[in-house]
Amino acid sequence: MSFLNIDSVKNRTFDAIVVGSGISGGWAAKELTDKGLRTLVLERGRDVKHITDYPTTMMNPWEFEHLGQLPKAIKDANPIVSRCYAFNEDAAHFFVKDAEHPYVQEKPFDWIRGYQVGGKSLMWARGTQRWSEQDFDGPARDGFAVDWPIRYADLAPWYSHVEKFAGISGNRDGIPQLPDGEFLPPHEMSCVEKHFSEQTAKHYNNTRPIIIGRCAHLTKPQPIHYQQGRGQCQNRSLCQRGCPYGGYFSSNSSTLPWAQKSGKMTLQPDSVVHSIIFDEKKNKATGVRVIDAHTNQMTEYYAKIIFLNAATMNTNLILLNSKSHRFPTGFGNDNGLLGKYLAFHNFRTTISAEYEGFLDSTSEGIRPNSSYIPRFRNFFKQETDFLRGYAAGFGSTRMLDNDLSGIGEDLKTNLTAKKYGNWRVGSHMMGETIPKESNYVTLDSNLKDTWGIPQLKISVSYDDNDEKMIVDFHEQMTEMLTKAGFKNVKTHDVPSKAPGLDIHEMGGVRMGKDPKTSMLNKWNQFHNCKNVFVTDGACMTSTSTQNPSLTFMAITARAADHAVKELRKGNL
Amino acid sequence: MVKILPAYLYLYTQKLQINLILIMQRRSAIKNLTLAVGGLVSLPAWASRWTPDSIGKVSTSVVSEDNQMILAEIVETIIPETSTPGAKSLKVNQFIMRMVNDCYGEPVQSNFKKGLTLIDDLAKQSYGKAFTSCDALQKADVFNKMRKSDDTSAKQFTNMVKNLTIQGYMNSEYVLVNLLNYNMAPGFYHGCVPIGK
Repeated sequence: MSFLNIDSVKNRTFDAIVVGSGISGGWAAKELTDKGLRTLVLERGRDVKHITDYPTTMMNPWEFEHLGQLPKAIKDANPIVSRCYAFNEDAAHFFVKDAEHPYVQEKPFDWIRGYQVGGKSLMWARGTQRWSEQDFDGPARDGFAVDWPIRYADLAPWYSHVEKFAGISGNRDGIPQLPDGEFLPPHEMSCVEKHFSEQTAKHYNNTRPIIIGRCAHLTKPQPIHYQQGRGQCQNRSLCQRGCPYGGYFSSNSSTLPWAQKSGKMTLQPDSVVHSIIFDEKKNKATGVRVIDAHTNQMTEYYAKIIFLNAATMNTNLILLNSKSHRFPTGFGNDNGLLGKYLAFHNFRTTISAEYEGFLDSTSEGIRPNSSYIPRFRNFFKQETDFLRGYAAGFGSTRMLDNDLSGIGEDLKTNLTAKKYGNWRVGSHMMGETIPKESNYVTLDSNLKDTWGIPQLKISVSYDDNDEKMIVDFHEQMTEMLTKAGFKNVKTHDVPSKAPGLDIHEMGGVRMGKDPKTSMLNKWNQFHNCKNVFVTDGACMTSTSTQNPSLTFMAITARAADHAVKELRKGNL
Repeated sequence: MVKILPAYLYLYTQKLQINLILIMQRRSAIKNLTLAVGGLVSLPAWASRWTPDSIGKVSTSVVSEDNQMILAEIVETIIPETSTPGAKSLKVNQFIMRMVNDCYGEPVQSNFKKGLTLIDDLAKQSYGKAFTSCDALQKADVFNKMRKSDDTSAKQFTNMVKNLTIQGYMNSEYVLVNLLNYNMAPGFYHGCVPIGK
C-alpha cells in the first residue's frame, strides 16, 4: 500500500504500538506512556468504558429475567463459550460468541475470549501468585522445554512494581512455593479451612502449606489506588460484570485510564491487527497492518517498537500471519518453532468432602477469593513417576439441611429457616502441563475469518503426564482430607472437559537463551528482530501452576523498561 | 449517545447512588469523596429505574393464558401466602413461564403443557371441579397425588415446577431483602461466627 499524503503517514506514526488492551496490553500502555512514549493501543473489540459500560453491575438477583441462566437459544448457538463457568446472564456480553470468530479444532479445545477494551481482565478470576525459584528452574531441572532465560531474582522487583499499583491482597506466609509480595490485608480463612491447614501441616511436617488465596482486590486501598479512581472492594463477588468501585484490578479501571491521563495514549478499539510489517532494508519491524472491524478497510500504523499483547492464541495468530520475504513462514520463525510448545493448566478434576466438626460455627457473607494449596509435589526434587505437580483452590461452606420434601406452609417455613448441616469443602486442581512440540497452533490453509485472516487451527491435548497427575491429585487430596477427619470424600474427574476452559493457555512464542530453540530473548525481544516484544501468555516457556496474569504483568513492565532504555540508547 | 438495551440490562439507578453515598459516609479523606462523586458523575445516561413489571409481559406462545392461571395456583399451593407474601403475589409463576419459554427445549415444554392439563383433569376426577376452583387443601392434595404417582411425566412436571418455584421465591426481592437481609454492598465475609448470634 502506498501513501502519498505525508501528513496522513505522520498521523499514523507513534513511538510505540501495543496490540491488545487486556491485562498485559494495559500494562504495556501504562509503562510506555509513563516513560513518555506516544503510544497507540490497538484493540480488536469494542470500547468498554469503566463503570459506564458495565450495564449489569448494579443489578440485583431478581432483576435478571432468568435469574442468571442464559436462554436455550443462546446456549445452543454457542456450545463452546457456554461451557465457560462465567458465561451467564450477567456477563455474557463480555464473551466472544462462537460464530463471531470461528477457529478449527484439530483436537477439542475450548477457546474462551473477550474481545473488548480490557479484554479478559474484566472477567478474570483474579488469583495472583508469584512464581518461585523452583518454577523458573523447572524446565532445566526436569529436562523439558528449554531453560528459562530469567530467574526469580530478575522478576522479583517487577512483581513488587506491579503488585503495588494493581493492589494485591494476601498473607505473608513465608513459604518457598509462593514468595511473599507487596500485600494488602488478606481475606479470612474459615474455621474448616484453618483446620485443614493446621492438620495438614502436622501430618506432613509443614511441607504442604494451605493458605488464603492471593488476589487482585483492594482490601485496603492505598493512595496510589485512589489516584487511579479506585476504591474499597465491597465483597460483592459480582466481579465478572465489571466493578463500579474499581475494587478489583482490570485494565479498564486501572492501567488504561492511567495511561489516558498521561495524554500520551491513543486507544483505538475495533481495530483487528492483520500482521506486522517487516522492513528488510532496516532489518526491523516498522509497524502493523490494521483492519477496521466494521468497514474491513486496511490501514498501516508505524512505530519504533511494537508490543504484542493480543493474548496467547491471537498473538500466535498475528505472528503466523506476518509472512514476508524475510520470514516466509511467520514472523521471526527462522527455527520453525513459532506456534509450538503450547501448554495450559489442567483443570479437569475436582474433589469434595464433608466435615462433621465445628457444628456450632458457620461462615457469613461472601468472599471474592478462596483458600489455596500451593504445589507440594516434586517441588524440591523429583518424587513421582510424572513430572511437575499441581496447585489447588480450596473452599468451604456450611451446608443447609432444611427439610424441603413437602409443600405448603411447612416448606415455606423451612426454606428461610437455617438448619445447618455439615461443612462442605471443595477443591479444584490446577496442574502444570508440559509444553511439547506436538501441542501447537497453525493457520488453516482454506478457512478465513470475517476479516479475511486465516482461521487458527488448534491442536492441543492432555498427555500421559496429565493423566498420572490427576490420579495423584485424587490420591493425595483424599489422604490429606481423610487424615484431617473429613468424610464422604468424592472425586469428580470429567475426562470430556477439553483443554482451554482453564483460560490459561500459554506459549507458542517462547522465551529462551538460544535462537535455535526459542523465539524470544530474556527481554521478550525476538532474537532476530529486536524491536518487537511479546509479553503476553505467548512468551511463556513453561506454565508452572500459578494463575498466570500477575507474571504477565511483571514480565510486561520489565520488558517495557528495557525497551525504553534501548530506544534511548539508539539500539532499536 | 443513548444505547438501546434490553429491559433486563437496565440499572437500578437509585441503588447505585445509595451505595456510593454509603462509601462517602464511610471515608473521611477528601480524595475518597472525589472518587465517589466521580462515580456518580459517570453514571450511564441510559440507566433507568427497574420495576417488577418492566421485565416484560410473559409470552403465551407455549402455554395459554388459562393454563398460566393454573400455574399461578400451583405455585401458591407450593408456597402459600401466610403472614408474608406467597409465590403467586411474588409473581413466581411469571418467572417459571419465562424459564419454560426461554431456557428449556421442546420435550420439556411439551411435558410442562401436558402437566398443566393433567393436574386440571386430576382435580376434576377427584373433586369434580377445575383445579383453580378447588380450595387450598384440595389443591395441595391434587398436587401431592401427582407428585407421588408412578407416572414419570407427572413426576417430572411436579419436580420441575416445585424446584423453579423455590428458585423464584428464594430470589424474589421480598424474600432476599426482607427475610434474608440481602445487601449487595457493602458486603462482608466472616470465616467463623457462632451460629444463632
